[in-house]
This record gives sequence, structure tokens and C-alpha cells, in this order.
Amino acid sequence: MRLSTHTLGAVAALITSTGLLVSPGLAFAAPGEAGHKHDTAAIGEPAKATPKTRTIQITMGDNFYEPETIPVKAGETVRFVIKNTGEFLHEFNIGTTAMHAAHQKEMAMMVDHGMLSATGVDVKKMKMDHSTMPGMGHSMKHDDPNSVLVEPGQTKELVWKFTKPATLEFACNMPGHYESGMVGKVNFQR
Amino acid sequence: MHKTLPGLSRRDALKFAGAVGVAGVVTVYPGRRVFAASDRSLDLAVERTRITIDGETSNAISIGGSIPAPTLRWREGQEVVIHVTNRLDEGTSIHWHGLLLEGVMDGAPGFNNYRPIGPGETYTYRFKLRQAGTYWYHSHSASQEQEGMYGAIVIEPAGRDPVRADRDYVVLLSDHTPENPENVLRKLKVSEGYYNNNRRTLVDFFQDAKRDGLGATINDRLAWGEMRMDATDLADVTGYQFLVNGKGPLDNWTAVYNPGERVRLRIINGSAMSIFDVRIPGLPMTVVSADGQNVVPVKVDEFRFGVGETYDVIVMPTEDKPFTFFAESIDRTGFARATIATREGMEGEIPEQRPRAILTMADMAMAPGMDHGSMAGMDHGSMAGMDHGNMPGMDHSAMPGMDHGSMQGMDHGSMQGMDHSNMPGMDHSAMPGMSHGAAGSKDQAVGWADAGTPPGAKALSYADLKALVRNKDLREPTHEIEVQLTGMMSRYIWTLNGQKFDEGASIRVAYGDRVRIRFVNTTMMAHPMHLHGMFVELENGQTDRMPKKHVVLVPPGQVTTVQLTADEPGEWPFHCHLLYHMASGMMTRFIVEPHTASL
Repeated sequence: MRLSTHTLGAVAALITSTGLLVSPGLAFAAPGEAGHKHDTAAIGEPAKATPKTRTIQITMGDNFYEPETIPVKAGETVRFVIKNTGEFLHEFNIGTTAMHAAHQKEMAMMVDHGMLSATGVDVKKMKMDHSTMPGMGHSMKHDDPNSVLVEPGQTKELVWKFTKPATLEFACNMPGHYESGMVGKVNFQR
Repeated sequence: MHKTLPGLSRRDALKFAGAVGVAGVVTVYPGRRVFAASDRSLDLAVERTRITIDGETSNAISIGGSIPAPTLRWREGQEVVIHVTNRLDEGTSIHWHGLLLEGVMDGAPGFNNYRPIGPGETYTYRFKLRQAGTYWYHSHSASQEQEGMYGAIVIEPAGRDPVRADRDYVVLLSDHTPENPENVLRKLKVSEGYYNNNRRTLVDFFQDAKRDGLGATINDRLAWGEMRMDATDLADVTGYQFLVNGKGPLDNWTAVYNPGERVRLRIINGSAMSIFDVRIPGLPMTVVSADGQNVVPVKVDEFRFGVGETYDVIVMPTEDKPFTFFAESIDRTGFARATIATREGMEGEIPEQRPRAILTMADMAMAPGMDHGSMAGMDHGSMAGMDHGNMPGMDHSAMPGMDHGSMQGMDHGSMQGMDHSNMPGMDHSAMPGMSHGAAGSKDQAVGWADAGTPPGAKALSYADLKALVRNKDLREPTHEIEVQLTGMMSRYIWTLNGQKFDEGASIRVAYGDRVRIRFVNTTMMAHPMHLHGMFVELENGQTDRMPKKHVVLVPPGQVTTVQLTADEPGEWPFHCHLLYHMASGMMTRFIVEPHTASL
């Protein structure tokens, strides 16, 4: 992983012209560079909800989701309403297993640098320029369109279009949470 | 040791052992009973048996017909009824380690009006499960635990388990000696250094290897442990075989997974005397529970494992390959080994054993109140008799932590005449005039806390443990109880506050009180301190998420403090969980007195 060169500005998959997924979970850009387009993302893309959009309620606990499987159809847009009933900070992140694995390392670093604590987000530190921090050498934010952080007691929304069938998980990548089972399956239905 | 069975080559014996030891999910061996949550009651007989480990058979005692005893799978809130029948010709008992229950059901003879179960008698335990998690059960009589009387308890939570796994295995570590444990204790009392000697010579070892010619790597590694060249205080009984679920390193207990699965290992240190360093090279472990209590998940590469403690970890092997579960005793005399693999019969690489830590005076420096002049609790008298004159002739390259690779070319002949028996408790690093060139280098572990963890690897520290659920009682303790861990090593007397069990005063607290216990370890050994009946909350830097423990490992020369709410009336055993330390007196009564006169 070349942490020195990437930002987290766009964690959604970046597809090369050959259509292969490279460096899952990481997008490469110089600090300050404009965001990326996700029109070719294999995992889907952020979308806007309409009155017809289906809503799925997700409850977060310490450290698990209810439900643990969400049925979707290819091309469908889903509005996720995610409530954190636990006492710890949790994430709802849609991606592949490999993307989650990569993101876990980044989340661990954000916890190490105090941008995230076990219970919340340090907004000030999150906005800071972390490029001066030892071992970072790049800016780091948690503003990926496929992910939302939910603090204890909060409810947040994420609207996502599942463009085509893929093997996807929704996961919390706070240190240790994924390992202890805070991950669910996206089931593409015909 | 290392004898072949009559009519069976050793290889055949191992194959046989492997075949009968096939493990299914959750420690189910063929013929082993696992009790489902729906079972109303169960019967467990305690009887003499024989156990075969790595092809060697010796005497043992089983509960429920197997060693380890059957894994008891229960559900929180359930009432369980267990009829224990004693088929020994001596008294016995079963203690439910870590369970919250009424005193008389705790199973410790001499406490809470519980009496030993006499020969031929049946005792019925009945209690409601007030908790979930991984615990264990074992005899609390004489040294029966050492002889095989231990098994796992897994209690599923009434509500949702905050940990989800695809596979769930019990990994019960133990130490087995073919010797009668009563003899072990007797010998320890005669001479504390008894077990610090080589019981086999290098010549024996190489002859064995030539003759057997199998399991070369394992034998080799095991033998390094047996070739103890000096004595330290890390452990005082050696000659053990270290087991995983009753299987020796050659038997190779195996946990099967499919790549990508979450595997929960419920690791229990059910050994009598052995503290381990546990790792699975190539596979990080996420610790999700300590002593049966959920903790905020923490990812580690290894952990030090006190007797009586349990840790639940999640591993997620994604590759189709075998991983070695490796638990080295801290004195590095051997290891327990198991394999986590995609199918039975696979074997991972056996890692090099790490050097044994050499204790230094720094290990003794941190216990405030210690009289360093007289070294309270240590008997220096025995050291005066040490013949230092013998030492210049020693080849120090053979000491653990040095380069063992060069040993094959050594002149073994010169070793036999050396007498190491008068060396117990010696701190070689402190010897004037000796060359300590290796001390402090990466090949040498110095000080008790040094597990030989390589740079970049993360070893679990008590400070990492954070309760998943907030502590209920946040009152400041109203008073503090100091418990000095004391001993006289040369006579093998281990005590609390300098007094043997039932010579010393009991600890008394009032029901409902919030108290602090301050363990002051004045000895050169670590002591896993176990309180029956209640959890203690470890003061490890957390404010309202102190981890709840039933065993707290207090390092040599250190002070460890815990808090506790005395909410379980009774007179509870409070002791060092090193079996021979308890047997030699390192125990007291922790009495929680009700406010009213009647219990």
C-alpha cells in the first residue's frame, strides 16, 4: 500500500481503462486535487433519493448490524437510514472485502492520530492538514461517498445505487469491529 | 519418555492418535459428549484412566470419560443440574471457574460449607447461569487438576452475541506430567531446584532422534526446551508435556476452516503451573473477550497467558494453508502446538522457540515497601552455597537465548559432570565477572515482561483490555486491602502476607462494599491470582471500562491493583492459581459478610 501518495477523498474503486480493479479501496490523487468520478465503479455509485426510493433501516450495536443481509436488485437505488444504538463510533461502508481490508488500515491510522476516537469523530483534527504528521505525508479525510460514520445516538443516511451485481459487503472498519463480525452481505436478487 | 508402544511403531501410534483425535466443530471428538442447551441435567463421573500423549501413556483422571472433560455448552439464564459421581478412592470436587453462583455450588472443599465428594458418592450441583462467555471447570482437590480434571464451559448469551463467527473452537491448554503430582510437590519441598535440572542429556536426545527419525523438527524444538542449562524463577516445575485439548505437539490437534471464515478460538489456560506466550505466526488475533467478559476488540500478534485465564480471539485466515498455533511456556521448556488448517493432516511450520527471559534485579525493583536489604520473601541463604568455581568451565553458548544453532558441534561429554541443582533462583545477569555479551541484544530476552516479541509485532498488554460494557459500580473504593505475594523459594513455601493458608487471617469485607485490592508481588515469580465468586475489575488505566477478570497475573516485583464490589456473600477461596503454590499455602479466605446475622 502506498499511503504516501493517496488521499481518502475517493475510496470508491478506481477502474483502469482495462476494466481491472486496481488498489481496491484507494484512489490516488495529489492533496487538494478535485474529486473523482465514480461512473465506472464496480461497487455502484452515490445517488439522490426520490420519493420512490426504497428505504432500508440499519441498526448498529456494539459491534454488529441488524439486519446482517440486505437484498437489492441490480440498478436499484437504496436509501439507508442507519441508527447507532451502541456506545461506540461505527461506520457503514459499502465495498468489497479487499476494499474493506485496505480501509481498515486507514481507519486504524485515523484512530492512532486522534482523528477518530472509539466513540466519535474529532472534527477539528479530521479537517487538519495531516501531511505534516509523522508517517502520514498526505491529507486524510473520511468523506468517501460509499461510507458514513455514525456516532453513538446518531442516525445518518446514505443513498446508494447498486449499478450491477457484485460481491459486496457493508462493514464497519473501526479497528477490530470487522473481525468481530460487524459486517453484512449485499444480496443481489434477480 | 519417547518410548514406542508395544506392537506399534511410534509413527503408527501417532497416526492412530491423529485418527481418533479428529476434531469436528466445537471440540467434538467422536465419543465425546457435548451437552446441548436443551439438556436438563447431565451426569459426570470422575474416574482413573490412562492418557496417551504423543504416543506415551501415563496415569490420569478424567471427568465424563475424557481429557479434557466434555465441553459444556450452555445458555445464559438456564438452570443447570450436574450429578458428579466420584469413582476414585479419594475425595474429589469440581469447581466452576469464573461462574457466579451460590457458595456451596462453587465446589471448593473447605469453603462455603462445601465438602469433598467422597468415594462412591454423587453430588448434585444446581445453579442458574447468570453470565455468558468462556469459562472452565476443574477439580479443586489435591492435585487432581494436574492429572486431567479440567474441561471447558461455553455459555451462549441470552441476547445477541456481540461477536459473530463462522467457526467456534475451544482451545484448552494444559500441562501434563507422567509423574504423580503428589511426588512433584514432595520433591519441590525437598529441593526447589529439583525440576530445574536436565532430566535427559543431549546424548539421549540424539540417540532418540536417530532411532525414531520422525517429527524431526518438532522433536528438535521440544528437545531444546528439555536441555535446560540453568535455572530461573520463571517456572518451578518442568518436564511437562504441553497439551492443546489433550493432544501433544505431535498429536497435533487441528481446527478446520474454509478460507475467509471468521474463526473464534476460545483459549483457556487450564494448566497447573504453566504460563504461556501464545501466537499464531502469520495470523493476527483479534481479542474479543478476556476471562469470559467481552472486551473492545483489540488486534494482537501474541499474548502472555496466565494460568486460569481465558481469551477469546477471532482469526480470519484467507489463504488455503496451515497455521501453527504455538504456545510456549515462559520458561521455554517446551510448547503446546495445534494447527489451524483447511483440512485435517496439514502441518504448518513450527517456529523457533524464543529465548527464555533472564530476570534482572529490575524485576525486583518496583515493589514499593520491599526490603531490598533483606530481599523479603527470598531466601538468599541458599545462594551462599553456590559453587561459582564450577562456572568458568561452563560453555555459556548453550544457554537459552544464545545461538543454539552451534550446539550440535559441542562436546557433550563435558556436560555430564556438571551439577546445576544448586542454582535455583540465580540471576545470571547480575553475576559479577561474567560475560553478559548477549544480554540486551535481540537474541536475549531480559526481564520478565520481555516475551521476545519481534519489532513491529503487537503483544497484548493488560492496558489494552477495555470492557465492552461499562462498569456498573463506579464508586470509589472505600478501603484498600493489601495482599502481599510472598514466598520462600528454597523451602517451597508460598504464602500470602507471609502466612500460609489457615495460619493467616481471612480477608473480611461487608456485603455491598466497594474495595480495592492491592497485590504486591515480593517474589521473583509471576502469580496468577484467582478470586472465586466475584469478578474483579482490573485498574489498567480505564475509568469506566475496567476489564472484569477472575484471574489477574501479577508480574514479579510488581504492584497490581483491582477493584471489586463485594456483592456475593460467602467465604470465597482467594489464591494463586499455580497449583503447587496453592497447595503449599498461597491461599486465603475472602469473606463477604452479610449485614444481617443470617446468611
